[in-house]
Amino acid sequence: MAQTLEIKRSSASMWGSHTGIRTSPTVAKYIDTTTCIGCKACEAACQEWNDLRRVPHQQIGTYQTLPELHADFWNLIRFKEQEVNGDFNWLMRKDQCMHCADPGCLAACPAPGAIVQYENGIVDVNQDKCIGCGYCATGCPFDVPKFHAKGGKMAKCTLCVDRVEVGLEPACIKACPTGCLNFGTKEDMVALGNTRVKALQANGFKDAVLYDPQGVGGTSVVTVLKYDKPEWYKLPADPHVGLLVRAWKNVLRPLGVVAAAAAVIGTFAHFATYGPKVPPEDRDDASSGSGR
Amino acid sequence: MSTTMPVEPLNPAVLAARHNEDILVGDELVRHSRVSRLLHWAVAISFFVGLFTGLPIWTPLFGWMAYLFGGLEVCRWLHPWAGVAFALFSVWMFFYWLGDMRMLPGETREWFGPKLWTYMKYEDEPDAGKYNGGQKLFFYAVSLGMLGLLLTGLVMWFPLLFPRWLRGLSIVLHDFTFICFMVGIVMHIYLGTTAEPGTFRSMTQGTVTKPWARLHHPGWLRTVTENKDRRA
Repeated sequence: MAQTLEIKRSSASMWGSHTGIRTSPTVAKYIDTTTCIGCKACEAACQEWNDLRRVPHQQIGTYQTLPELHADFWNLIRFKEQEVNGDFNWLMRKDQCMHCADPGCLAACPAPGAIVQYENGIVDVNQDKCIGCGYCATGCPFDVPKFHAKGGKMAKCTLCVDRVEVGLEPACIKACPTGCLNFGTKEDMVALGNTRVKALQANGFKDAVLYDPQGVGGTSVVTVLKYDKPEWYKLPADPHVGLLVRAWKNVLRPLGVVAAAAAVIGTFAHFATYGPKVPPEDRDDASSGSGR
Repeated sequence: MSTTMPVEPLNPAVLAARHNEDILVGDELVRHSRVSRLLHWAVAISFFVGLFTGLPIWTPLFGWMAYLFGGLEVCRWLHPWAGVAFALFSVWMFFYWLGDMRMLPGETREWFGPKLWTYMKYEDEPDAGKYNGGQKLFFYAVSLGMLGLLLTGLVMWFPLLFPRWLRGLSIVLHDFTFICFMVGIVMHIYLGTTAEPGTFRSMTQGTVTKPWARLHHPGWLRTVTENKDRRA
């Protein structure tokens, strides 16, 4: 946990902890799937910088290291063989936490301060406050947070917050040999992405898009896709924080508090109106009515 | 006054309440046998452990309750086990009490309608047996709620085994059921203590007075008295 960063939002917080004292621009990763060569240098760099345990590879019939992200494996290159208009396409995408502007994990988390969003947009898990309930995995539209069986806590990509806060780029970015990864302010990365998308469109890839889903307020990972088919890259087309998560946090919670208070007030009102129901035989003798 | 303290002989009705219920002993009626009472309190204690460990997870407004148990992590561990105990004792109690919970013809419809309000206004209910219609309906509602809390709770306990939509739905249903429960329990405690004096002792020493029975459960008083006459 980086104490020097301003916390913008904090999970299960009563009043919030945003002071507004330190300001910083939103940062973002830029991922160009069209120039990724699938070398997995970013995977290795992530494991190394974050001191994560080695995870046994699982062969799933492609070059992909694991079927899904893992509590000990926060950066995964997904390999997809996709037929497009009769042509074979080998699609690769770097999968990790998307660092949403409106994070579903943070909304769902019941432990105060276990998930925070820093002023610069990075969403981080504080394992010392995490209770390992897994609600964040329910709230995340990208299925990113994973349960660490050994620690009993949730774990995911931190966007190398410990590097970013001292002015370094994330480990994955530093390791990339093709320049398909880049890091900077969100504004700059979106501009870079738009330029790249225009270049792709001019070169025959008319469907090229920049994936920055607005349903979660945009993400601090912007991804250039050659085809406007996010599902081919195992990305949700229009991710949102689930309606059920919203219902339970924004509707049921206040409703429950009001209902409990109303029940208590109701009993007092009833007692004030009708008093105790005492048998006629006991009505003149207060002591026998108490019943203890 | 003599120098030695006179020793009150044990109330014969309370003695009888160790192993019997629905009998008349002297001026008192045995309403709940010892097993019945212990079951009720086992359900109550496991419920409140579940409530006080669940509330701080539910909302930070009740976050302070977590410190009663040693923090939120402890609550997260203890809550499901309290739930298991609550479910087990509730199932046991359900079958132990089921025999007394048969609805009379038309009673359900009555209690979902005007009867509830006349009851709240303390009007006489000459037909009320051991349990009135409202109590019986509450019994079934609580049992159903327990089942809902158990099933949704299991999904929330082991989230990795279930799809995301089911986890989200379970949390919403768990919350909704528990809110109904909380309102129900507030009324249950109110009616069992302050609102109807003489009721609480039926869950401690197990007995109630004849006037209490005549007021709240006249049908039950008749049955118990007749049985006694028949036995005598």
